[in-house]
Amino acid sequence: MSKILFDVKNLTKHYEIKRGLLAKPKIIKAVNGIDFNVKKGEILSIVGESGCGKSTTAKLLMTIEKPTSGEIMFEGEDITKFSENELKKYRKKVQIIFQDPYSSLNPRWKVGRIIAEPLLLNSDLQKEEIKEKTLAIMKKVGLKEEWYERYPHQFSGGQRQRIGIARALIINPEVIICDEPVSALDVSIQAQVLNLLLDLQEEFNLTYVFISHDLSVVEHISDRILVMYFGDIVESGDVDEIFSNPKHEYTKTLLGAIPKIEV
Amino acid sequence: MNLVEVKNLKTYFYSDEGVNRAVDDVSFEIPEGKTVCIVGESGSGKSITSLSIMQLIDKPGKIVEGEIIFDGVDLLKQDENYIRGIRGSKISMIFQEPMTSLNPSYTVGFQIDEVLKLHHKELDKKGRYERAIEALELVGMPYPEEKYNEYPFKLSGGQRQRVMIAMAMACEPKLLIADEPTTALDVTIQAQVLDLMNKLQDKKGTSILFITHDLGVVAQMADEVVVMYRGHIVEKASAKELFEDPRHPYTKALLNSIPVPGKHKRKSRLDTVDENIDYLQFPKEIR
Repeated sequence: MSKILFDVKNLTKHYEIKRGLLAKPKIIKAVNGIDFNVKKGEILSIVGESGCGKSTTAKLLMTIEKPTSGEIMFEGEDITKFSENELKKYRKKVQIIFQDPYSSLNPRWKVGRIIAEPLLLNSDLQKEEIKEKTLAIMKKVGLKEEWYERYPHQFSGGQRQRIGIARALIINPEVIICDEPVSALDVSIQAQVLNLLLDLQEEFNLTYVFISHDLSVVEHISDRILVMYFGDIVESGDVDEIFSNPKHEYTKTLLGAIPKIEV
Repeated sequence: MNLVEVKNLKTYFYSDEGVNRAVDDVSFEIPEGKTVCIVGESGSGKSITSLSIMQLIDKPGKIVEGEIIFDGVDLLKQDENYIRGIRGSKISMIFQEPMTSLNPSYTVGFQIDEVLKLHHKELDKKGRYERAIEALELVGMPYPEEKYNEYPFKLSGGQRQRVMIAMAMACEPKLLIADEPTTALDVTIQAQVLDLMNKLQDKKGTSILFITHDLGVVAQMADEVVVMYRGHIVEKASAKELFEDPRHPYTKALLNSIPVPGKHKRKSRLDTVDENIDYLQFPKEIR
């Protein structure tokens, strides 16, 4: 059995919405006591519709949000109790790719600097070494060396997503959290980025937590799936099992709603 | 019978850098009571084609050439007054973003009423209210009388899109142009909206021009499919023909780039549309 990287227990995130001075605040239960684990080297997808809590879960794993309660064990340690210093080390091992390749890159920075940023923050490497590594990773994700000095606006959506992937990859993470990485892209570009993600996973034995609402993409790339609905995991299991024999009513509805191309 | 015939349409955009031939010599028909889908990727000209039919092309864009025959009349030869009479009443449009295409400062009812005021001058206030409620009922809006007085922010994405469809259908248009109407919606809501559009078509015999990049949606909606690439139509066929036997290399590449269970092995690498190939070099496949 492969090693368990993440072991999440009773993870909860509630948001309080204040509705005026005297009114009782409303509690939004974005994530409502979920348990799951992530194994090394697998692609685990979290699926569900808007508001189901899948992106909040990603943010909790990334420590962008603090949980209301529960624990997130990563390699045996609870990341919710980490100090700043420990968090810095943690973030070297866990990186994220965002949905929108337009708003997730700083428009005033050249591509070389955007990709090198994690190294600039987290390593003592010399300038020359950093540049070398940056160029190597650019090549790996299919970006040309001569684009090093360009700005993000000079790139297409697919190329920008490659820049985001290169930035996530440059400090050799173990896990990449992919938050809807292809849903802003045209189908043909989507295929290119999926191919790249699969290649990289094989080459570096990466683990992906893949957040998506696109079930045909999820079925194509995942090993295991969690189905979320209103903050709860309603069903989880191997991808084959869930797609061929969904048990929960909501999973059935979701699968039935995908427009299908019969071939 | 064809409700719409687009013949050799050319819509260009002019800038200091030159001419962008967004739509370049495009011809197709929309039969009465049928759904025609235009598929293509961003920049293929699919939205500009639909805006050209509505004549909503602003400077620096211009319809340079062609004919748009609607109900036997060439719209490009008519004046602005004639077009304004047709827009909304005979041709309606639904856009992608239901969040931004409704006015946030007015109630749902006010906005439907406004459409009716413009296009159904024979109706009095009470008649318009009844028609509006009827339209909301038709699109399956729960509690139509209550929703009539709500502001758009109180509605969910799917309900907002229902309001847009209700507004578009309130005047019983002959042609409904839907530009990516479900792209911003969740799959289960998308399924409801698509189902609703099909039902309305059955009931009212409306022709639909459906713009989308989602081939799954095309398979579910289309009678006829037009595939656009860089301003040109590269393939035109019935939906059945297109999916069973795609002929143009671009169509094939596009179809192979989406993962289909049973056809693509899990984690196999998908085919891609090659950016270095100019697919216009291949002969057009018009069926």
